[in-house]
Parts: sequence; structure tokens; C-alpha cells
Amino acid sequence: MTSLDTNTSGLLGHYLDLAAFRHRLIANNVANIDTPGFKAQDIDFGAELKHALTAGGSPEPKVNNVDGLIERPDGNNVSLDRESMLMAQTQLQFRVGVQLLRTEYHRLLLAINEGRQG
Amino acid sequence: MNLFGVLDISGSALKAERQRAEVVAANLANMETTRTPEGGPYRRKHVVFATQEQFGRVLSDRMGTGVAIRDVVPDSAPAIKRYEPGHPDADSEGYVSYPAINPVEEMVDLMGATRAYGLNASAVTATKQMIQQSLEILK
Repeated sequence: MTSLDTNTSGLLGHYLDLAAFRHRLIANNVANIDTPGFKAQDIDFGAELKHALTAGGSPEPKVNNVDGLIERPDGNNVSLDRESMLMAQTQLQFRVGVQLLRTEYHRLLLAINEGRQG
Repeated sequence: MNLFGVLDISGSALKAERQRAEVVAANLANMETTRTPEGGPYRRKHVVFATQEQFGRVLSDRMGTGVAIRDVVPDSAPAIKRYEPGHPDADSEGYVSYPAINPVEEMVDLMGATRAYGLNASAVTATKQMIQQSLEILK
């Protein structure tokens, strides 16, 4: 941790990492929407975030198969609606993280500039 | 893997779906083909999709890295026989073997490929926006 890293920026870093990781899983689910036998994968976002915050470093999140989806005859259970919704959600989460991080850095800049704007 | 890797995943799906659409187009174009280099009528082709995987940091967790067409296999359905004694490819009894291709089936397959392509294209857009947003942190 350098002097410019605050608690908040560290937390937001983990948050953004997780959102990006989840986005990757969703993209992979969507890519495999026609692959026979493919099972949709996801992470438990809340649990992983809590884990990353308590354990400090961020180990690779645990990837699970999604339960309760309807399986097609070819063994594939990717739900188009679920993935589209999750993709929109993850995108917004990422945006929130970025905005909060910007605000945090602006706050730091404000302190550096002794309270003068810009 | 970072956000740019996500573009590779969606890109692999775009490529696979486009190939699928190409195979459907070839099937439709060859509906009446009675002569092929292998001999006999054209055989309907199927694509076989397979997940691409890469081992993560731990050997047990495998990371999906998109999709690829593993194989293009010919259909096993027997050819349709039509009685056309004047046709140059007619057999001794006057029947011509035509490919067993159902245009409706092909159109449905094509529609599926188009939808999946569009879905993956919107995934690319979403990823691009996220990359652009992360640049905002620097501003």
C-alpha cells in the first residue's frame, strides 16, 4: 500500500476486480449458449467480496455451476434472459465502482491542492 | 485475465456463430446438388460446438475461454430418391439421389446463429464500455 492508497480505494479495487471477473464468466456463458453439455457458471458476488475484504489479498474467486436453471435436451442450461440481466447489472456495478474511485481520487487531489478546486 | 480477455471470449463466439451461418448457407445452396468430389449427392453438414478451456492457477478450476467449432460433420440421413429417368445422375431404375435437406430446419438454425451472434455482439459493446469507463479513473 503506497501513501496514496486509502482504505476506500483498496475496497473499490476488490469490488471492480470481482465485477470484471463476473463479467468474464457471463461473457463465457453467452459465448457457449449453443455448446452441448455446457453448464452456466457464476460466482457468489457478496460472499466473494466479503472474503476479499476480510482475507486481505484477493485469491481467485470460487466458480460454481448455477443451480435451478432449466436444462435443454442437449445438456446446456444457459438462460439468455438471466445472462442479459446479469450483464447489465455487472456493467452498472462496474460503473458505480469507477465513479466512486474517481470521487475518492478527487478527494485526495483536493487535499493535495489544500482545498482549492481543480 | 483482464477485460481485454473478455473481448477474446466474445470474439471466439462471433467467429463460431458466423461459421455456423456459413455452413447453413452451404446446406441451403446445395439443396439440389447431386454430384460432389466424394461422389454421390451433397450431404447436409452440422457444426459441433465445444468449449475452450484453460487451466487456472489451481489445476482443479478450469477457466472457460470461449467457444470453438470442433468439427463439421455430415448428416447420416439417407438421400431422398426422386424418379427422374432423364437425369444424367439417375441410377439404373431411373431414381436420382438428392440431399436430405429441409429448408425450414436450415432457416431455424440460421435464425439461432443470427440471434446468438447479436447477443455476443452486445456483450462486446458492454465490455468496450467497461474498458472505456475504467479509463475515466485516470481523468
